[in-house]
Amino acid sequence: MKSADAIAARERLAITGWIPARSEAFRHLPPPPAPIWLGDDPELAAPGADALPVDGAGWTLHPLGISAPGQVDAIWLDAGDATEREALFAGQPLPGDGDGEAAPFAWAHRAICRDGLRLRIGTAGPGRDPSAPVWLHVRHRPRSAVEAPLLSIELLPGAHCVLVEAHTRTAMDGPDSTAGGPPIVQNLQTHIRLGEGATLRHLRIVAPAAGDRIAHRLQVGIGRRANYHQALVASGSRYHLQRHRVELQGEEAACHMAGVLVAAGSVIEQQALVSHEAPRTSSDVETLALAGGKALAVVNARTRIAPGCDDASVRQRLSGVPTGGQPRLVLRPHLEIHHDTVQAVHGATWGALPEDALFYARQRGLDERSARGLIVEGMANAMLERCLGEPTLLEALHDDGTLRIDAFVSRVAPSPPGAADGSGHD
Amino acid sequence: MTQAEPLLQVQDLQVDVGERRVLESVSLDVQSGELVVLMGANGSGKSTLGLTLAGHPRYRVGAGQVRFDGRDLLALNPEERARAGLFVSFQAPPEIPGVKNSLFIRTALNTVRDARGEPPLDAFDFLGDARSAAARLGLPEAMLGRPVNDGFSGGERKRNELLQLALLRPRLALLDEIDSGLDADGVHAVIRLVQELRAAGTAFVIISHYLQLIEMLAPDAVLRLDQGRIAEMGGLALARDVARSGASRAGEPATEGAAAAPARPAPPKTGAAAVRPRIV
Repeated sequence: MKSADAIAARERLAITGWIPARSEAFRHLPPPPAPIWLGDDPELAAPGADALPVDGAGWTLHPLGISAPGQVDAIWLDAGDATEREALFAGQPLPGDGDGEAAPFAWAHRAICRDGLRLRIGTAGPGRDPSAPVWLHVRHRPRSAVEAPLLSIELLPGAHCVLVEAHTRTAMDGPDSTAGGPPIVQNLQTHIRLGEGATLRHLRIVAPAAGDRIAHRLQVGIGRRANYHQALVASGSRYHLQRHRVELQGEEAACHMAGVLVAAGSVIEQQALVSHEAPRTSSDVETLALAGGKALAVVNARTRIAPGCDDASVRQRLSGVPTGGQPRLVLRPHLEIHHDTVQAVHGATWGALPEDALFYARQRGLDERSARGLIVEGMANAMLERCLGEPTLLEALHDDGTLRIDAFVSRVAPSPPGAADGSGHD
Repeated sequence: MTQAEPLLQVQDLQVDVGERRVLESVSLDVQSGELVVLMGANGSGKSTLGLTLAGHPRYRVGAGQVRFDGRDLLALNPEERARAGLFVSFQAPPEIPGVKNSLFIRTALNTVRDARGEPPLDAFDFLGDARSAAARLGLPEAMLGRPVNDGFSGGERKRNELLQLALLRPRLALLDEIDSGLDADGVHAVIRLVQELRAAGTAFVIISHYLQLIEMLAPDAVLRLDQGRIAEMGGLALARDVARSGASRAGEPATEGAAAAPARPAPPKTGAAAVRPRIV
């Protein structure tokens, strides 16, 4: 049964229309049309019928490392139930101006969202120490060929959490893999709120199957003196969008977002949108995009510093490495600064593997392809470690097969220069 | 390779870097187990010789031949040269962020072992060997777990080069100012390692300005490179002379040494060099 809210969202989308082809934000990789995301495409479901079910469990929680018990309240909510739907969307504004040109995705999500998971981390209570670090592993496995899952995470003031979120549908040699099955369409919405002094180290692993169409949108609100670190490891597919909007709302709030994007004959786009809204806030966005074959990888980093943000600090570093074939790499660093006393650095580089390191590795006996692969894997590792500040986490995930950076990078094992072209910059 | 053929045979090597000719004409032979010291002023071409032998793409060979272990070295790419047993230590070893030192060295070692027809070492066996070698060289074990040369001091980078040398056990090692940045213990570690490997048949070409190290190494020959040519050859007396009067002695004719120099070409024997400078 569809709720009135869902029906209204669908109608609203019909009125406002889908993302136009001339959209600036999506011009390099226009998303598939609305019927795809609403499950109305005949390829995905018979007319008037629900999309095909997929043998997945939806959201599941798993142990990770050593964590004090009982500091997480997890609630699975059914959007088909009016009361639970209200709880699921509680505190979340209706799609609107804040979503920018991606608002149609938000309406489409609201129209077909069936369930979600709410996590409250750092909860107080008898025997609970809200400042003790919490380690969590959240997996999502699709339950329908067209779906719009929701994840809501709230870190209470002073809470500290290490969260691994995995969406893995291709072979990763690990327990997160659900290789096989029909292609899916997934419109995920995630809301994250960090209370004062909270810290979230968030590793996101997104490896869709080749035919999947994926749009993940994160909205993150960061309170005073809170820290958000997101390390994204994502591979391309038929369509893959990662759109992350981070608001540094409180004084001295900070975020560090690192992305390793891998596309081999597929497409992927990352949109990292950061808004500084308070003094002494800082943000660091860095992305390494590796693309081979006829892949298209697009990275849009846009950071805005609002008036009054004294001593705000901004850093954007985007790197693209074509690894063979004729990929297109589009790196777009943007800064929008409305205040004088700020520090801002941004830049983009293409194809730059350190030649001295490459020769050094070859002088030790590694062939050029292996040397390039090792160096690129190292660049990815270093970026993720810089962001997460938890080297043991990556090591543990490698050992249990959850995240094999080497296997991930080997999908686009870099070949010697001259084998690729087609990089772009604007 | 015939019995008489040197392990390394360089003939009339001419090398350009960009538009500049750095090596005019260099010839030398090195037999297995021999140790040759290369001296010379800054810019005389010492490092160029090493990087050219290693196959660095920026160093373009204009003329000459190099044979290594009976093969045409210049026809091999850098990794093939390394697998054939040529090790060139870097004056400033680069860092490789994010690549754990132990993984890098084990990958290199197993590649070289494979080329030798030896089975690969698993992580456990490798770590045992690496820890033991690191301890002998005074390299903290923690350096094995850190990214390659990332945040290493100058001395630690050089010790890391020595660690790789100790584990790879090449046929010929060219060490470019391996002593720079090393403390006294580090210099002694160099000498011990060189003596150990030399006894096992490894040949060395060592670039150094440090007389005390050269004396302790007891080289078979000392060469002075000047303006892209071997200007002088001799024994320790030449090293002492260069240390005293300077490496750059413009206008001085190329001679066969300030001290007792071996006949040319000389068969390998104790206290004499099989180095064959070509005097032009």
